Amino acid sequence: MKGEKLRNLSFFLSPMIIMVGLFYLIPLIFTIYISFTKMRNWNTERYLTEVVGLYNYQRLFHMFQHDPLMRTVLLTTVVFVGITLIINVFGGLLLALGTFFVNESSASTIRLLWLLPRMSPIAVYSLVWYYFFHGSDIGTLNSILMKLGVLSQPIPWGQIVPWGAWSVIIFVNGLVGVSFGMIVFTSALNQIPKELVIAARVDGASAWQISRRILIPMMKWHFLYVLTWQFLSLLTTYPHLFLLVQWDLVSRDYGTTLALYVYNTAFGRGEQDQGLAAAAAVLLSIIGILGGFVTLKVLQFEKMIHEPRGDIE
Amino acid sequence: MKGKVGVLLAMVVLFGVIASGCIGSQETSETKTTSAELTGDFVKDVLAIGKALESNGVNEVKFSAWGSGDPNSVMRVYGIVEAARRINKVWEENGVNVKITITDTHYVASFQDAYQEYLSKQPLGQAGDFFVNSYAFLPTLADEGYILDITEYANAYKNVIDDFYSSLIEASKFKGKLYGLPQDTEARPLYIRKDVAAKIGFNLEGIEEKVKNGEFTWGDVSYWAKKAKESGVEWGLIHRKGSAHPDLIQFIFAFGGKLYDEDSGKLVVDVPAIYKWLYVEWKFVQDGLLPKDIMSWDWAKQIHPAIVEGRTLFDIGGTWYWTEWQTKEYYGKEGTPRPLKPEEVQAWFAYTLFPAGEKGLKPVTLSQPFIWMINSKAGQQNPKYDELEDLYHKLAFLMVIKASDPDINAIHSVISAHLPVRKEAAKLISDEKWLNDLKNLNLDLDPQVKTNIKDIVATTVHPINAKFLADVSYMLEYTKLAPAHPKYPALADIFKEAVDKVLRGEMTPEEGVNYIIQKVNADPELAQNVEIVGEIPKDWKFP
Repeated sequence: MKGEKLRNLSFFLSPMIIMVGLFYLIPLIFTIYISFTKMRNWNTERYLTEVVGLYNYQRLFHMFQHDPLMRTVLLTTVVFVGITLIINVFGGLLLALGTFFVNESSASTIRLLWLLPRMSPIAVYSLVWYYFFHGSDIGTLNSILMKLGVLSQPIPWGQIVPWGAWSVIIFVNGLVGVSFGMIVFTSALNQIPKELVIAARVDGASAWQISRRILIPMMKWHFLYVLTWQFLSLLTTYPHLFLLVQWDLVSRDYGTTLALYVYNTAFGRGEQDQGLAAAAAVLLSIIGILGGFVTLKVLQFEKMIHEPRGDIE
Repeated sequence: MKGKVGVLLAMVVLFGVIASGCIGSQETSETKTTSAELTGDFVKDVLAIGKALESNGVNEVKFSAWGSGDPNSVMRVYGIVEAARRINKVWEENGVNVKITITDTHYVASFQDAYQEYLSKQPLGQAGDFFVNSYAFLPTLADEGYILDITEYANAYKNVIDDFYSSLIEASKFKGKLYGLPQDTEARPLYIRKDVAAKIGFNLEGIEEKVKNGEFTWGDVSYWAKKAKESGVEWGLIHRKGSAHPDLIQFIFAFGGKLYDEDSGKLVVDVPAIYKWLYVEWKFVQDGLLPKDIMSWDWAKQIHPAIVEGRTLFDIGGTWYWTEWQTKEYYGKEGTPRPLKPEEVQAWFAYTLFPAGEKGLKPVTLSQPFIWMINSKAGQQNPKYDELEDLYHKLAFLMVIKASDPDINAIHSVISAHLPVRKEAAKLISDEKWLNDLKNLNLDLDPQVKTNIKDIVATTVHPINAKFLADVSYMLEYTKLAPAHPKYPALADIFKEAVDKVLRGEMTPEEGVNYIIQKVNADPELAQNVEIVGEIPKDWKFP
């Protein structure tokens, strides 16, 4: 019986196990291996077998100790991930709840508008914000404020460190991420039986009371999913940041997160140090695993996956 | 019985093998050649390679050309197309049934992006066969084995190599070996607005000579920039942005510093010269002469319009600006932005070397030669590559030799305002008849090349532009090159960060220097490759 169960399990789980192994586990193992080699400039033939032990990690920690940029990178990562995560999760929740209480056609329009940042090509979307936040009078924001007489001189928004730079990168990425939470929460809300809401309404509950007492508690799973997913996404995202830093819109120091640092080290200009970048990527993965674990613990994931009491073996 | 059948079968098989071997060897010994010696006689070498390819059943050779740069520098790829046509013509006239086809002319604006693409695709065998890019990337590409060592081939073509300016040939070498041929170079003049100078009583007569002999220094630039500002001009100085390579490091040379130590083979952080550089820039910003956020200015909307509209007295630019201003719509003073006319550029701009930092020192300019490099896997998309690799590589080399023909080089120079790399090309630029033929595209060129340069030729080929090139050629005698060291791009990035912080007022010049030192020492690998020399000068004053 046991063997048959195992066979059945293996059969049904094998596609997922193969996928996880192929696209998650093997790249992770490979990254860990590269971090112990002298790999650079894509020269696999020459460096992939040149094992240098902990050299890349020693170099990385030496840089953390002595390079002011590295400390800024860590701080920027914490601030960027922390604040953007709050905006993404609660912004998504707020939008989902907001659209839940308005008529369907208005709700669809609002949702579509919030999906625009995610639908736009990254370069186009970033270019829009490049010109919007540009630090001279060619920048839309500066131009508007100067025309209104609020400013007499343009403000280099992204170059005011640290909060100017952080605000720009958080704003630009925050807008992209909100739509993800919005969609998940909206679909969750649509699964909640309408009778509960109608009954609450009959009892005279306000929209806030309905949200707080009925809707949000019933979306715990979704909240956990969006929070964990967005946390890991933000930790590893870099394309928008790359362009904004590359175009000198935001300060390089306070616009670079650990993920962007990994990218720049591996594939940036000049020498491309993939061994060192892999060491930083391993560090990033460890932070991601620990962060994900803590999120699941705090939100009591284990409790949520307990078998329902009514089930019979 | 079974045994007899077995023996019989074995004999039949053996006979078959021997017979096929005989037939095969007979065919091989007849005509097939898989290599050719280069003699230095171009036509003879091309024919030898063509015949060898033909004998191996190859009738078409496919190559691809990758280039990058400003919109007027497309000859960086079309030079290869033209070279292919000229070689095809030789083969056709001599009855060799082989043809070169250029399958891809990949041209992008950013040379750094092109380098990154080449670096990532070369190991996969997906990069272009010809790659034109800055000499600054040559050491890394050579060190990784991504480009072809052409030292041996070039020995046979000494007569051609000797016609190149020797400093440019040196820039094409790594560890004493030749890895490419110069394609173009440039100087980075200090442009001076003649109309602004006239307004403030700044007499530009003989200014070139004064800069040349070190009489006019950065102290004078500062003096006149202040005068311009006082007269109501928006800025005294505008300069380029980017990775401080290769523009702003001119200050290091102008203050007598160096960036590379030949003896140790290490990069140098020359503290006194770097401090003076940062101090001059900082002072310009403090005096309101230079925008503090220049490193994040937009090229097309801010930097170029400020220069062509006369909103600055000085500009540290490049020779290619001269024609770029004539093809791009930067001038917006009259409403809709438009390009400048050659007469306007000539009437509005004077140009000199980058002045000496202080009296007693020398003026400089900086060049960043572009090099034709050949992929170490050149020809791999062709049949029998493993067998005929030598022929494909030599053919690729001969194509680069052909693409360096004086007329091809001269066309590129005239239409893109880069300086010629060969003496013969420099002579051609001064030839009025040839210029006229180029203007009318009355030259023997591939139709594809003509089509692609037609518009650029129409706007840029002008006696005024040819005169400009002739006028600035002398600057090559003063030129410096940034070190060709694999770690230099990392150091240049640190310079850029420091300059930006000093310009924005986040750091004093002294803090800027210490920041550079701290950053260098923070990376043990970079620290091993960099020497830090000298100290911040005390009581040094500017201007």
